[in-house]
Amino acid sequence: MSSSRDDFGIAFRSALLQRGAKQKFSLVFLIIVAGIVFFFDVYGFGFMKPLRSIINDGIYRVSLVVSSPSRFVPQATQGFTNFLNIKKENEELKQALEVYRQKELNVEYLTNQNKNLRKILESEESFLKKENMILSKVLIDKSSPYLKSIIINRGSNSGILKGMPVLDKEYLVGRVVETNYLSSRVLLLNDLNSRIPVTFGEDNVQAILKGSGGSRPLLEYLPEGYIVEEGIDVFTSGKDGIFFPGSPIGVTNEKGEVILFSESSQLSFVKVDLSQHNKEVF
Amino acid sequence: MLNYKTISKILNLGPLILLYYLSVSEIDSHFENYFEILSFNIQLIIIYFWVLKRPEVLGSGHIFFAGLINDVVMGFPLGISSLAYLVISLVATYVKNMTVNTRITTDWFTFFIAIFFSNLMFFILLINFSEIAINLTEISYNTFFTLIFFPFFWFLFSYYNSIITIGKNV
Repeated sequence: MSSSRDDFGIAFRSALLQRGAKQKFSLVFLIIVAGIVFFFDVYGFGFMKPLRSIINDGIYRVSLVVSSPSRFVPQATQGFTNFLNIKKENEELKQALEVYRQKELNVEYLTNQNKNLRKILESEESFLKKENMILSKVLIDKSSPYLKSIIINRGSNSGILKGMPVLDKEYLVGRVVETNYLSSRVLLLNDLNSRIPVTFGEDNVQAILKGSGGSRPLLEYLPEGYIVEEGIDVFTSGKDGIFFPGSPIGVTNEKGEVILFSESSQLSFVKVDLSQHNKEVF
Repeated sequence: MLNYKTISKILNLGPLILLYYLSVSEIDSHFENYFEILSFNIQLIIIYFWVLKRPEVLGSGHIFFAGLINDVVMGFPLGISSLAYLVISLVATYVKNMTVNTRITTDWFTFFIAIFFSNLMFFILLINFSEIAINLTEISYNTFFTLIFFPFFWFLFSYYNSIITIGKNV
């Protein structure tokens, strides 16, 4: 019994302290260094912020270069597939156009919706009145089970601040949660940490759009007993003072989820709204 | 033309290059577009296998730096992935010290112990010292599939191990 304990102790000590022929550092030394780096970063020591910012910018650029072959292959394949399927796609687009034409005929629904939207649009902070936008390229959109975020090629040198809303065309996709000098990290709407105040429906229902970690965020804090209907457009309410009221986000389904207008895995360029600069702690 | 020595050197660096490449590049093993819950962590398998079978191939310093790079790309607090990787490395070194000859089944079982301790430490640090919320179900799937895919990579790396020369008296 004691012999087996001794064996365990010897093997464990050896694993921690031993340095093989090609090993320059022992494991225990590196574990301690990693622990120190972690606590310095977590507790935000003054020197860590600029240091991390430099490391982030450097690694994001390297990552962009290194990832370029892996981007080219799917793009080339997709281009070829598109070329072959162009006729089929055309048919599908015609059908989709027909659906939209039918939708246009639904005057009653649109009248109600317009009435509510007009209230929002009449406010001074209208979504349509914003001008101060900056176009950014998506550097990295590495999918992860932990965080749903993207890296963009604009940072504090372009005036980007933490908390700024990010849009794909006219659709809200997320907000800036980390800024470096030359790059920023954008937390997407479907991330588990994302919470956005939204409004939807004829009655201007207020709710919080919570990221689920999956592809479809959920509506929470709905009025008691409220049953979400399918196909209702969801907009930002602007109640947090971070997002413009009336930015379109997505459309509801019967499960109380929101199907986003912008596919987060297909982002190439996004727009950052510089006029909204409320800082938010992430 | 590349001579035998150069090719051999490049082959010896293969696992290290793969580890760095997976950490820094956009390539990931998260296949949510094909099967929503399918994701696995190849880095953990690479570290465990090579530290166990051929530690000369992957230096601890490189494992530490690959972790730091991964933290930057993924947006985690710096050092957390390094710690997770070093825990994997520690278990692999311990198993290497305690055993003489292992089979795939023993490696598979001990890999389970390694990712258990690695993930445990990762979650404790992330939950207690960071404001990042994580989906435990998704992470469980990730761990499960990492474990499931281990034998496939074991055979792949075992074959690769047979063609590299580092540490061999050739």
